[in-house]
Amino acid sequence: MVPVPEGGLTFEDDGKTAILQLKDLEIIDQPAWPAFKAEATPARMDIKIVWRATNEKISYGDPQKQFKVDGFKATAQLEAAVEVPSLGFSWKSDPIGTSKAKFAIIGDEVNGRYYTP
Amino acid sequence: MSAERKFPFACNCSRRSFLATGVGLAAASTLFPHIRSGAAAVPEGQSVFNYDGSTDPFPIPWLDKNGSHNQPAGLGNEPSSIYHFKGKIARCSDFIGMGTDNKGNRLAFGNPTTDNAFMQGEYFTGRAARKGTFTHL
Repeated sequence: MVPVPEGGLTFEDDGKTAILQLKDLEIIDQPAWPAFKAEATPARMDIKIVWRATNEKISYGDPQKQFKVDGFKATAQLEAAVEVPSLGFSWKSDPIGTSKAKFAIIGDEVNGRYYTP
Repeated sequence: MSAERKFPFACNCSRRSFLATGVGLAAASTLFPHIRSGAAAVPEGQSVFNYDGSTDPFPIPWLDKNGSHNQPAGLGNEPSSIYHFKGKIARCSDFIGMGTDNKGNRLAFGNPTTDNAFMQGEYFTGRAARKGTFTHL
């Protein structure tokens, strides 16, 4: 989990569409993860993910784990480009419209001290 | 509070002598500058301990899989990776897509554990409410 810089997350359509766009992220290429002490190589990534809410509402939670989610099922699409300089490797996805996620949600959540049953 | 209660740090000295002692300590600190501030006394390479706790978001308590504090995306599972949180969230997983490497090879991306999320809102940590935006990639 990493902080999103100012402007990296934007909303459209009254909050029903969210666009996460990050450029030149410092990451690691770690093919053997989660193996212990798996070799990691410095890499960089540009990524854009778009979530769009559908009309199908969701609402669920768990009093024992103290969280509650209200929102919508969504569609999600992604495009990215990755570069691993030390390996001379780079990769770029096809345009965002060609990808899809089998699972996506968007909404609001409360948990922990903010949770009320 | 009882008038007979004794404070552990009380000393048998008058206010005047206490102030004089204080002046003496102040003078000493000008002679020994390394004792003038707590920061200066911290060994090189170490940071001052934050008695209010970390300002990093608090992880979900029951998650510690490989230290990633992550769980599979799915209906019924908590989308946030931050505990003591309220705000906007989105999560997605199991992508299907294609791309091309720098040698022209067509390579697919995505599998059931390829999941992404964002959390934007208020979180409580280090004894204070804070605002921020985070992503899980």
